[in-house]
Amino acid sequence: METKPLGGKQIEVDEDGFIQDPGAWDEAVAKDLAVTEGVNDMSENHWKVVNYLRNYYLEFQMAPMIRKLCKETGFKLKEIYDMFPSGPAKGACKVAGLPKPTGCV
Amino acid sequence: MSSKNHRSHNAQEVLSRLGKKLSRQIAGSMVACVHCGMCTNSCHYVLANPGDPTYAPAYKADRIRKLFKRHYDWTGRVFPWWVKAGSVFSDEDLEELKDTVFGKCTNCRRCSVNCPMGVDLATFNRMARGLLVSVGIMPEGVAVVSKDQWEIGNQMGVLKEDYLDTLDWMSEELQAELDDPAVAIPVDKPDCEIVYSINPREVKYDPRTISDAAKIFYFAGENWTMPSEGWDMTNFGLFSGDDDLGGAVARRLFEKVSELRGKKLVISECGHGYRSTRCEGPNWAKFDVPFEMESSIITMLRYLKEGRIHVDKTRNSEPVTFHDSCNNARSCGMFEEPRELLRLVTTDFREMYPNRAENFCCTGGGGAMSMSEYTPRRLKSAVVKANQLKATGAKVVVTSCHNCVDGLNDLIRHYKLDMRVTQLVNLVANALVVPARVAVPAGGPPEIPGEAVEAFAAERPVLADRTIVVADDEPDQVTLLATIFEDHGATVYRAYSGDEALEAARSRKPDLLTLDLAMPGRPAAEVFEMLRKDAGLVDLKICVRSERPELRQTIYEQAVRPPEGYLDKPVDEQSLLRSVRKILELAH
Repeated sequence: METKPLGGKQIEVDEDGFIQDPGAWDEAVAKDLAVTEGVNDMSENHWKVVNYLRNYYLEFQMAPMIRKLCKETGFKLKEIYDMFPSGPAKGACKVAGLPKPTGCV
Repeated sequence: MSSKNHRSHNAQEVLSRLGKKLSRQIAGSMVACVHCGMCTNSCHYVLANPGDPTYAPAYKADRIRKLFKRHYDWTGRVFPWWVKAGSVFSDEDLEELKDTVFGKCTNCRRCSVNCPMGVDLATFNRMARGLLVSVGIMPEGVAVVSKDQWEIGNQMGVLKEDYLDTLDWMSEELQAELDDPAVAIPVDKPDCEIVYSINPREVKYDPRTISDAAKIFYFAGENWTMPSEGWDMTNFGLFSGDDDLGGAVARRLFEKVSELRGKKLVISECGHGYRSTRCEGPNWAKFDVPFEMESSIITMLRYLKEGRIHVDKTRNSEPVTFHDSCNNARSCGMFEEPRELLRLVTTDFREMYPNRAENFCCTGGGGAMSMSEYTPRRLKSAVVKANQLKATGAKVVVTSCHNCVDGLNDLIRHYKLDMRVTQLVNLVANALVVPARVAVPAGGPPEIPGEAVEAFAAERPVLADRTIVVADDEPDQVTLLATIFEDHGATVYRAYSGDEALEAARSRKPDLLTLDLAMPGRPAAEVFEMLRKDAGLVDLKICVRSERPELRQTIYEQAVRPPEGYLDKPVDEQSLLRSVRKILELAH
């Protein structure tokens, strides 16, 4: 496991760049992670998605279904993909400080 | 090593289980290797790490082979030093083996097809994975996913209500998009022609492939359904080497389709899922499958050929290339169908080299995407694939496997290629021409107005004004085809050898030439190449024909434009006419 400078701190990330300790996450970390996923400017909408993902994860210890994400945030599927070009699983979840999703993704 | 005689429980267990796994295929692969080195350069890990011999397939195989030699083969008892027999003693030894079988091989089988002795490394690499899994030694990602598949019934732990809710959502989205309240995703409808199964990632993260498939089924007028349970056609048993898991997962799906009395199980574009369900599943599950199984690639191609859906391929005009998934292509022999479909729905298809059985791994195979610990190795080995992709000049790489989608996406990002990845279902849905709404009885299939239907109904013979050369050394075959073509208005010239085919093509300038691939004399591949290189025949369409599908490869290996189509033998009149008209009438 290596560490990477994110949001002004050294943070442990896995080989795919997902942070290991959700407690180490903050907005500055999220902004730096976003850049690695092709999102250079975190808009209000981006934060809405990211905060939903993070809160869901803290509550249930897993990533939500895309269905839940869209329903709860009110965004269309296409809008999510436009916001996070690498998709909800790898892009948005990484920015929200979730561990790498399991399985064929 | 022989002085050590204390073994850990796990090591002992692995060795004794090895004996039970020695099928004829595996034993053959254990003894047949002559260390000739033919496999070495077939492996993408080797090509990306030329200085590291531990990636060589024969070296990797020997990590497992030494155990067989030492414990199960008489040569290892008589002269162990000569046959390099060896053993495992501690859990550290097993960890080392884990690093090789999970971390240095994606089970892509490229070395297997390049082995002159028929050694199938991937098969016994998988077996070795299974031995380690049986004592709990495996990468964490594999353990998590396997657990979800065992316990929740799908590899991403998707709950039934969430799955059903997502299907409803996709139905609503489609109704809104098409402004048509009739379009829907039926669930658990009995006695359907098609039961459609998917990869959990589609429902969990990207259901656009589900709505695209639903749209295609709807416009094809298909009587289809999705099952409420047992819908996961992926199978981590293939990756972990655990045949029990493989059997349990496949059985769930088979039992559900049987319960619904589905006539055909269609498997969405997923390489390992297709192989696990259609090719390996019945054996793992010991299940006598009472229905047909088909890849959605074949389904979509069938709809187009039968005129059930219509497409406007100019909507997919970016240059595309195709990446063969190892499981679909090398392991299950699906080479031509995706290409045929791609040519029908895109305008600028470029072959990637090498391709088909010789294509290189996406680097995400064998479950590698779930094993983060090996990501740096995976990305380093991906330089081979990156170079292959770059050389095509394509902007889009199409693949029929979700693992490949992710492996390719990762390497495209890592090597900063200007490309994106997509699947056939997305391209077909994008090109789909939505027929003008006609009044149909509620629940009935929509009528599909189209040129094909009109042409059949018209007086004019469908092959009027066409000139066709039929080349085959069997006179009966020539007569059969020629008669059918002539009955439908074509002028036909007959050729009984490759040289006669060349002569007829040059003198008659036909629209189409059907070329048998097994004629004596000049090899068909050479005839084909000469036809293609003939400046006077640039417009000639060629349809290859054989009862031995493996011969097609000799044609596709030529560095010239591939044939416009192929026909299997035997062929019935309707499908012959359909294929020939498709070649003649659709611009390629």
